[in-house]
Amino acid sequence: MREQLRRLWRQIFWAWTPNSDREASEAIVKNLWLHWFPAKIARASMDWNYSFWLGTASASLLLILTVTGVMLMFFYVPSTERAYGSIKDLEYAVSFGRILRNQHRWSAEGMVAVVFIHMARVFFTGAYRGSRSINWLVGIALLLGTLLLSFTGYLLPWDQLAFWAITVGTSIAKEAPVVGASVQYILLGGHEIGQQTLLRFYVLHVFFLPIFVWILFGYHMWRVRKDGGLAALEPMRIARMMRPKETPRTKSYSFFGITPGTSVAVMSSTGLEEEDQVFSSPNLTRRLTLVFLAVFNVTLAAALMFNAPLEGPANPSVTPNPAKAPWYFVWLQELVASTTIRIGPISVSGGFIGGILVPGFLLLLITFWPWFDRSPLKAEGVWFPPERRRQNYTFIGAMVVIVALIFVGVYLRGPYWRIYWPGQARPEMPRLY
Amino acid sequence: MEDDRKARPANPDPERRKVLRMLGKGSVLAAFLAQIGAAGRAFFPNVLYEPPSRFKLKRPSDYPEGYTFDSAKRLFIVRKADSFHTISAICTHLGCTVQWKAVEFDCPCHGSRFRPDGTVIGGPAPRPLSWWQTAVSPDGFIEIDTSTEVAIGTELIAKTGKA
Repeated sequence: MREQLRRLWRQIFWAWTPNSDREASEAIVKNLWLHWFPAKIARASMDWNYSFWLGTASASLLLILTVTGVMLMFFYVPSTERAYGSIKDLEYAVSFGRILRNQHRWSAEGMVAVVFIHMARVFFTGAYRGSRSINWLVGIALLLGTLLLSFTGYLLPWDQLAFWAITVGTSIAKEAPVVGASVQYILLGGHEIGQQTLLRFYVLHVFFLPIFVWILFGYHMWRVRKDGGLAALEPMRIARMMRPKETPRTKSYSFFGITPGTSVAVMSSTGLEEEDQVFSSPNLTRRLTLVFLAVFNVTLAAALMFNAPLEGPANPSVTPNPAKAPWYFVWLQELVASTTIRIGPISVSGGFIGGILVPGFLLLLITFWPWFDRSPLKAEGVWFPPERRRQNYTFIGAMVVIVALIFVGVYLRGPYWRIYWPGQARPEMPRLY
Repeated sequence: MEDDRKARPANPDPERRKVLRMLGKGSVLAAFLAQIGAAGRAFFPNVLYEPPSRFKLKRPSDYPEGYTFDSAKRLFIVRKADSFHTISAICTHLGCTVQWKAVEFDCPCHGSRFRPDGTVIGGPAPRPLSWWQTAVSPDGFIEIDTSTEVAIGTELIAKTGKA
């Protein structure tokens, strides 16, 4: 019976645990879920210390978020009157609803962090050159998709954070030249925040943005394979290419009988040798499972230990004091608060400079960086190569500035967005709802 | 069966055929694009269920001296004896609600500060707070129009009998 079930399982999904090399390849190539992986994978690209498996962690978070998100959709009502109540129900009335929401929230914040660190890893290893530059662009689109998903996500509880984040976010959109007012109008579905606004952000959050991110994720994976796997393999490929190839000895029939000769040297199309690679099943599948389980358990532990924030219900007449964006947007809040320029009677709002110009410039810079990078090829796929020292320091510098702004925003800003040093007394603000 | 393609006479005017074919394909494509545009247009609402921008508040005599915050309408009614004006509580930076702090307006979102007349002291606000058109309605209530800004210093004189 057991054996029959096992056979049936294998008939449907193919082998997970191979008994031969052939079965090992087929376990990947002929498996519904795994066929998009290569049958064999280079040992070097599975190194924990090269990639830190950050892409796999991001994808794991995306999967966790999709599943928990779909479950939350059964309880959430996208109505301005009932949204807040349905979140409270998830917290107090639905069995394990609080854990579900917590895990969704912490996975989302984790995904913002992990996707960004993944990008930093690709930058530090210069893994965006040649044909990989397309995947760098896809990665930036995925980072933006992640940020937009986070933004549209924390609007849904319709608490004070949601309401004032929409107010500020759409006011920044309004600062865009020419199209600004129309963009704000179409985002809000009117001139004021209301039911139309919530419904629009809801549909974006549960349908369009996830579809966008999942499709791009598929393309991102496909390109990783088409571009020859991780850039970590490039130094190895160069070394293999440099090594003088021994041409195999052969014998052939000549006019005078059998003569020794040499045949042509054949290189594999991947540029890698047999001994560099292992079968993906079980070497890759085991690690993928491990990374997924690790990520899942970290988000679950966070969900069990910390509650997702929920402020008072949305109140259009009272802005919380101070009104802070989530940590990953607080550096932008610092920028919009401090970049207004006044020259005589003319003033340009920080909403435009810090909210559109500076982030837009940073985005363009990072997008076209692969085409500015003129370091030699041997700097590819290596951590902190001396040839890219200046580039990496520039990136670290920008990150330090952003982290410093986040620190100031999260820890030093008090009521009326004033700086309060650690230890300095903050005035008691009445909590108005 | 004979091949009827052979029976067809030679194309007398290939240019004409080409134009007609392009018109045919073009009209199908145009209809397709027009429908995409129409679907997109649906996202710009034509009817808004929003409160009107002109509304009545309380009687002038109901307001005390100084600054009174109307939380529902997000504005301040400012009274000095018989003269009234209305200052918007919506920060001109990114739309948060400013608070009256006895001598100035402060914004909790990004720290903009305004003088009692709404002009900017500091912070990121690019413009002074709006002054809304303020009038007394025929039946004796303060009437405000938030679609019309008036110059800073424009006062409404309303005889209330008592100061």
